[in-house]
Amino acid sequence: MKHIYIIGNSAAAISAVESIRLHDQESQITIISEEEYPAYGRCLISYLLAGDIPESKLNLRPADFYQQNKVDLLLGKKVVELSVKKRRVTLDDGEKKEFDVALIATGARPDMPEIKGIGKQGVSGFRTLNETKELISIATFAKAACVLGGGLIGLKAAYALKKRGLNVLVIVKSKHVLSQVLDDLGAKMVGRHLEAKGIEILIDQDVSEIIGNGQVRAIKLLSGKAIEASIVIVGKGVKPNIQFLKESGINTDFGILTNEYLETNVQGIFAAGDVCQSFDLVRGAAFINALWPNAVEQGRIAGLNIVGKNLKYIGSLSLNAVEFFGLPIVSMGLKKAEPGCETLEASNGKAQIYKKFILKDNHLKGFIGIGNIKNSGIFLRMIREGVDISSVKNDLLSDSFSYAKVMDLFGKDGLYSNYQEQK
Amino acid sequence: MKKNLYFDVKKCMACRTCELVCCVGHSLVKELSKAIKEKQIVLPKIKVSANSGKNFPITCRHCKDARCIDACIARALTFDNEKKEVIHDKEKCVGCWMCVMVCPYGAIRPDKQARIPVRCDHCIEIGEPQCAKSCPTKAIIFKEETGD
Repeated sequence: MKHIYIIGNSAAAISAVESIRLHDQESQITIISEEEYPAYGRCLISYLLAGDIPESKLNLRPADFYQQNKVDLLLGKKVVELSVKKRRVTLDDGEKKEFDVALIATGARPDMPEIKGIGKQGVSGFRTLNETKELISIATFAKAACVLGGGLIGLKAAYALKKRGLNVLVIVKSKHVLSQVLDDLGAKMVGRHLEAKGIEILIDQDVSEIIGNGQVRAIKLLSGKAIEASIVIVGKGVKPNIQFLKESGINTDFGILTNEYLETNVQGIFAAGDVCQSFDLVRGAAFINALWPNAVEQGRIAGLNIVGKNLKYIGSLSLNAVEFFGLPIVSMGLKKAEPGCETLEASNGKAQIYKKFILKDNHLKGFIGIGNIKNSGIFLRMIREGVDISSVKNDLLSDSFSYAKVMDLFGKDGLYSNYQEQK
Repeated sequence: MKKNLYFDVKKCMACRTCELVCCVGHSLVKELSKAIKEKQIVLPKIKVSANSGKNFPITCRHCKDARCIDACIARALTFDNEKKEVIHDKEKCVGCWMCVMVCPYGAIRPDKQARIPVRCDHCIEIGEPQCAKSCPTKAIIFKEETGD
């Protein structure tokens, strides 16, 4: 009987447990998590903050999930050290536990810049349920909030706080919001939409200090101007949680480096989710795409490889779907054309519709859809499967585009087989 | 056994009866003349699309390893192991469009007004898919799966 130790308790960990238990009922599984809740939908915290959903809807699995899957769940505990030689972890309370196989799915944490006053109450990286609960209690009395950074986490927080009735100011260092998720035209369109809904956006600006006596009262801009706020959301990206691996001998770069089986340089130690720097199939290099669907898929593959299935992971890619005040947005792969790329695009600013395809040698490398996101899953498949799309290139922007136009590209699987002549 | 929708493409004339009965079947009153007056007009979960002279009704095929289930951030999409169907829980859905972004067939579309994905549920409420029942040329067949 093996002892499988899973460090982390979110998307990747849960999907790993389910895959392991499909094939292995014997091994002992332990999950350890720093947070004190059973797995919850981390991407849902902005909906909770907005008041769109109650806390009870955050649960990812039924209450008896861990029991049903025979998992020992250790909540509110942290792994501070991992010894590869002794195959042992040390917890923050000093306890040591041995394992045969480990899955590191510790996720990431907000990258907090070194600004004076960043530790004040009301400043939040907006990552956990506890942080969200604290924000909700402050928001009940607050009038204004500032969001540092125009990325997805920042904007989701901005949307939520606006829905709660606060005045929200988003402060962006670059020229646009969502500069990592969209191109300039798309970002402008979304920025205008957010402004029309009452969210203020300040570009080309940054914060030099967070002012307040314990509790945030205002932020000070580089320009010297001070702006009142009781909440400051820091959306400046995330950092993988790898501190405890420093002396372990497990290879890390920005995150944990793995091979195509999601195994680290140490046999029997795997990584998955936001902490795992696996292969990016669009960039063609090791990269972290810290996104929910990637974490679920990686967790499953790592889980299946833990039970000896030897499955290769094809790689992750940048992949986002989001909606702000009725405007749906999808972006995947490349956002801006690189040298040698071909771009196909159509936009209608008034109707808030934008579509853009980036191709390289007749292979799709990126897609942006705003307002109209139909069929984006087909575009994702084109990128993932790396098919030559020269024969359907001219259909991509057409309103009549559908799976029917491209099914021959993908071989005779899936829905295709349901179309054969029926007896 | 898993039942699924199959399509005899040669017989489909793109009359779009399937689209219509799909909407009516998912309306509150289940009657065309009244359904069109409902506050929330239901969008068809099946759409006929043409290519090279043939017509393809496109709809969710209830994949076993469904990418939409993996991508769902709210656990609104799950696989029912008994019925072998992908189930969508409207109450849990937050309308994030992850499922639309990953469906390899483009069979999930966004209903922007209702903020829920439009996808086939095999007419779970009525008990049998209305498209198959009503197709005038019998191009749509609901039968036991023949294997992928």
